[in-house]
Amino acid sequence: MEQKKVESNAGNWKEYTRVLLPPVRDLHRLDVYEKQGGYSALRSVLKGDKWDPKSVGDAVKSSGLRGRGGAAFNAGLKWSFMPPVDERPRYLCCNGDESEPGTFKDRQLMEYNPHLVFEGILIAAYSMSITTTFIYVRGEYADWIKHMEGELKKAYDKGFVGKNIMGTDFSTDIVIHKGAGAYICGEETSLMESLEGKRAYPRSKPPFPAAYGVFGMPTTINNVETLACVPLIIDRGADWFAGIGAKTHAGPLLYGISGHVNRPGVYEYPSGMLMTDLIYDVCKGMRGGKKLKAVVPGGSSTPVLRADMIEGVCMDSDSLRAVGSMLGTGGMLVMDEDTDMVKWLRRVSHFYHHESCGQCTPCREGTGWLEDLVGKIDDGEGNLRDLDILIDLCYQMEGRTVCALADAAAWPVRYTIDRFRSEFEAKCRASHVATGDLQIA
Amino acid sequence: MPKVTIDNKVYEFEGRPKLLQFCMEHGIEIPYFCYHSAMSVPANCRQCLVKVGNPQVDRATREPVLDDDGNPVIQYFPKLQTSCSMDMTDGLVVHTHRTDELVARAQRDNLEFLLANHPLDCPICDQAGNCPLQNQAYKYGPEGSRFEFDKVHKPKKIELGPRVMLDGERCINCTRCVRFTSEISKSNQLTIIERGVKNYPLTPPGVVFDEPYSMNVIDICPVGALTSKDFRFRARAWEMSKTPSIVTGTSRGSNCYYWVKDNEVMRITARTNVEVNGYWLADVDRLNYRKFNDARPLGPDMVSEGARVSTDWDGAYERAATLLRGVSGDEVLFIGSAHASVEDNYLLMKLADHVGASAPVYIPHVEAGSGDDWLVTDDKAENAQGCERLGMHPVDETVVRARLDSGAIKLVYVMDEDPVASGLFTADQLKSVDVVLHYYNTTNETFPVANVSLPAATIVETIGTFVNDQGHAQRVRPVKAIQSMNRSLMMETGLSRQDRHATPFDKWSKAENKVNCQPGWVTIPEIASRLNLDLNYKSPKAIMAEIESSNPAFSGATYDAMGLTGARLAEVGTTV
Repeated sequence: MEQKKVESNAGNWKEYTRVLLPPVRDLHRLDVYEKQGGYSALRSVLKGDKWDPKSVGDAVKSSGLRGRGGAAFNAGLKWSFMPPVDERPRYLCCNGDESEPGTFKDRQLMEYNPHLVFEGILIAAYSMSITTTFIYVRGEYADWIKHMEGELKKAYDKGFVGKNIMGTDFSTDIVIHKGAGAYICGEETSLMESLEGKRAYPRSKPPFPAAYGVFGMPTTINNVETLACVPLIIDRGADWFAGIGAKTHAGPLLYGISGHVNRPGVYEYPSGMLMTDLIYDVCKGMRGGKKLKAVVPGGSSTPVLRADMIEGVCMDSDSLRAVGSMLGTGGMLVMDEDTDMVKWLRRVSHFYHHESCGQCTPCREGTGWLEDLVGKIDDGEGNLRDLDILIDLCYQMEGRTVCALADAAAWPVRYTIDRFRSEFEAKCRASHVATGDLQIA
Repeated sequence: MPKVTIDNKVYEFEGRPKLLQFCMEHGIEIPYFCYHSAMSVPANCRQCLVKVGNPQVDRATREPVLDDDGNPVIQYFPKLQTSCSMDMTDGLVVHTHRTDELVARAQRDNLEFLLANHPLDCPICDQAGNCPLQNQAYKYGPEGSRFEFDKVHKPKKIELGPRVMLDGERCINCTRCVRFTSEISKSNQLTIIERGVKNYPLTPPGVVFDEPYSMNVIDICPVGALTSKDFRFRARAWEMSKTPSIVTGTSRGSNCYYWVKDNEVMRITARTNVEVNGYWLADVDRLNYRKFNDARPLGPDMVSEGARVSTDWDGAYERAATLLRGVSGDEVLFIGSAHASVEDNYLLMKLADHVGASAPVYIPHVEAGSGDDWLVTDDKAENAQGCERLGMHPVDETVVRARLDSGAIKLVYVMDEDPVASGLFTADQLKSVDVVLHYYNTTNETFPVANVSLPAATIVETIGTFVNDQGHAQRVRPVKAIQSMNRSLMMETGLSRQDRHATPFDKWSKAENKVNCQPGWVTIPEIASRLNLDLNYKSPKAIMAEIESSNPAFSGATYDAMGLTGARLAEVGTTV
């Protein structure tokens, strides 16, 4: 079969030089980081004449940097929602509660380039006049928390964080907060509840965090990777950043690729990479030469794509939306022809059932029901009516809860059944033969 | 004034109310579970979904966009919104389940979820018949369930504290109880534990849910998850009558419902009165109802030739009148009561005046330091303020004791009080004088030394007016029946389903639970008439009308004005 010639939105990605995770030995060490030009962006922001808080925000806005946590909202625009400075403290949250199955990119930043994250936080703090930044890291990342705390202390000792940073009158603090292991804490408002020491129930919005955030104060919350992009924008210019990768989703992107590929891992490339390039070129193809069956583009909650759907699809929001999925966190799950999609869905449904916080009725009751039904089909005891109920339940859950976890739980079910219906039907039919149930032909 | 269109009908509103609250106040029913007017809005039950939109405005001209027929085009929110958390804005267009099939479906879907893991043990549940989940499931829910798996099992029969029991499986996680302890009572004794579908409320480790307002969570629980240890399994909701009245044992006059089965008070629950007690009731006020059922007198009796004999009412009236006739006015001490109604005390004042005695005094029941700054007051009597407004004063103990000991007092006339138990006199002191006693319970310590004792109707058996410590005048209604027929009482009595529909063979109609007592506004006129004083009023309402028109301290306190929530009286110089 002749391959269609398709253009990648990533441009000439083979010549791309890594900027988020550059190949420098011991870059996590403050001295190495500084030698590589680290904290120069912060210095120019704080000490140069070129920048003031507003122009930093404008640069981030015009760079086209979109949130890397899944919602892909324009980061600079989000910053601009902060109310004018008054006597209240203002907070920034750096969301490192990376818990979506298939996502493991922030961990790399925290391990190999923590100072880039700190520098991004400090510049963002300067732009929004932040008093304190909380880096909320999931509890399972205990090693990385320890690692970052050590590096943060060095940055404090050096006067890069804390009182009168670099001798200027700008002061801001960074606190690393350890989560206790709940997926829901990655949701921005429940992260704030968790920070406050409360049960991590997402808050009903509005009010939005900029108006009523941590401890009721104005708060902005960004993903680790989003904040790590900020020093690059300051250093090299918004135009440089906007010129990388897909036009509507600019910048470098960390692709966390897992599953049945020969070389899974986190890869930094421009946004808008062809999915086929990532699988067959970057990850050196499918494991064992097997055929590709399905790809989940951005963490387990994003709608799954069949192998025949990914031809010419690029890893950016618009391209993926056109084909019926989302970029999410950029954590790709690649599945080969041997994968049982019913079993896969059963595992995913189990995850969302286990992680539903239980605040809203549709999610609390629906996630368990979904898992029960998928499990029933997987056990060969289902019938076709169960598929209809599954789709119905998805409809009953989507968009009817405080946060998006119900959607995240319903989408995999809805789209996996939609796109792999024959596999589900095959398991149902088998059960009719086995039980002698001939009522449904 | 800003306008909102709900189900194609236009309403005006002020400020920025929440949509659900506005609908509740305007008689537009929307199903909900977690919302409570007095607490924060978590929007977690997702039951009150409605379709909401705003008129589309042309960006360039700022004019509303009109469709071909000239009607404004409504731009609806992409998702259904919870009306409880929706701030109302001018021009908002709302469709409830009445005008939008999608909303009706969403509410049905949500109830299917709520019922999926609910045990559906309504046949043995205290809440059944009075249960928001049950009612709304019938009204808005699906006809059956498609859920065919094992329900989630959670701990049942958990003792949260000395007064509240929890059934974790019945809980629908509305968090009302948790919010009550964190926002209203501030005890923080409850929290949600576990996660997801296993969630249920519990006390933190080592904490007992024993705060003095703990039982309010039973009232606000929208299912039967939280039940009263005192009441559970004792009666079904439909077997009881539910009568609005006020509680005893506090001068705050907190509003409540009395629930009566078989002519016995079964429980007391809170009744909303924002001016008096809000939505809440103290636990002590709920649990003191047994005095209405237990140790009640069998009938009037008197001492005849040194022995106590029971008598009929006429005999008792005659004896009391005889005793009053036998002494001069200044030899009688009239003791009124802060437990009795304004009307009864007023009649007693008239009787005292008629026989030439000085005005009745009342015994204060203030226990300093026993109250809190909420609903429990230092003053344990219900009507001290009403007595003061009538012109009665607290008894001067040293003076009356001295008069009694010197023999200046020959007759003590006590209405609805217990001077022995309250320490005014000892029983021995009273043996030297004649005592006429109106009393509630046989545990009354003055009862053994009384020459004539007349069983009195308690607050749950009478009609009357009580004034709370803030000057709020409130009516009480007969909650249960007494033995004698009385037209005024019968007209006001609340009826349960069984009172109306059951057969005479049912237990409820047996006379044994009906107490042979009489309200003060029956007994005092009877005695007065034997002393040539006409105190016969048509009803307590007429007595109060006379008080209202003659005493400015009660200005405005007519029965019609007091209604169900009472009337706030003007401040007077003499307060307790």
